[in-house]
Amino acid sequence: MVEILPKMPKSWNPESKPHKFCPGCGHGLVLKALGQAIDELGIQDRVVFGCDIGCSLLSWDFFNVDTVQTHHGRTTPVMVGIKRANPNLVVVAYMGDGGGYAIGSQHLVNAATRNEKITCILVNNTNYAMTGGQMAPTTMPGQKTETTPYGRDVEETGYPMLGPEMVAAITREGAYAARGSVAKFAQLKKYIKKALENQMAGRGFSFVEALSTCPTNWRTNAAQTWQFIEETMTKYFPLGEFKVPEGKED
Amino acid sequence: MSTAAAPAYLKKVYTTEVNKGKAVFAIFPGLCKGCGLCKEKCPEGALSWSEKLGVYGTPTVTPDPELCKACGICERVCPDCAIAIIRVDKEK
Repeated sequence: MVEILPKMPKSWNPESKPHKFCPGCGHGLVLKALGQAIDELGIQDRVVFGCDIGCSLLSWDFFNVDTVQTHHGRTTPVMVGIKRANPNLVVVAYMGDGGGYAIGSQHLVNAATRNEKITCILVNNTNYAMTGGQMAPTTMPGQKTETTPYGRDVEETGYPMLGPEMVAAITREGAYAARGSVAKFAQLKKYIKKALENQMAGRGFSFVEALSTCPTNWRTNAAQTWQFIEETMTKYFPLGEFKVPEGKED
Repeated sequence: MSTAAAPAYLKKVYTTEVNKGKAVFAIFPGLCKGCGLCKEKCPEGALSWSEKLGVYGTPTVTPDPELCKACGICERVCPDCAIAIIRVDKEK
């Protein structure tokens, strides 16, 4: 009998597992998709991974690649700097919705407007999970969080942010913007792979938003977690590609 | 890196022969956090809570060998890579 090993992507760091995310957290699945995409493209030796503040920073020892951890949303400009210093590298800015859309949104907007040749992966779980589940820019209307106990009131706090739609609107030709979901793993992996390939081809800004689960702060069991991400979230956050470089459509 | 001791989760693995012996369902209790995402995604309803405990002291899952078709959906949706489905090659 051969020795049975866990089927982890080769780019994962096996010594830091089990990883630090909560049971049922979607970060593990997004990072699994990213790891498999890195393996399939064979670029592990030239990837630089930048993680943000929030739950996403728990991925600082996740991969066997060079990793930088920066402040809220600042992972985007740090990755832009690394890419400009050494264009041969493949840089991945990994952030949550709080870091990318609220506190550090100016960096995302400016990097997208300049069409920087980097890949951004933004994980959307509709709340600030690390600080206890407060309302985030992506909290859906009527959704209950710690700071919206009666549900998000759009009269008072506005509507949630639609990131890939915004990036698709402000970027120039050559950019890539898509939204995947951890409930559709193969699709998410395809989007992440296309985003990495778009960067490697030097076409432009590549942005993937990944809808993710947060059973700890949603206070859901496994069945309710799948129901929330597959039915409730996709109603407000449609999946798909919003901007594809010309000639690269499916 | 190569001199470091093997990670603790490799020490224990529970295997079950499924799909009429054509595949092996392996679960690593040192990785399983008991979230139950795999149990809900199983199209055959073959997974149930096990007596064996995972890394956080929560139950792991065990497959029903009669129902499991070794499709691999549980392996794919596991955020911790705690499940491995190994297809057994036919003897030639």
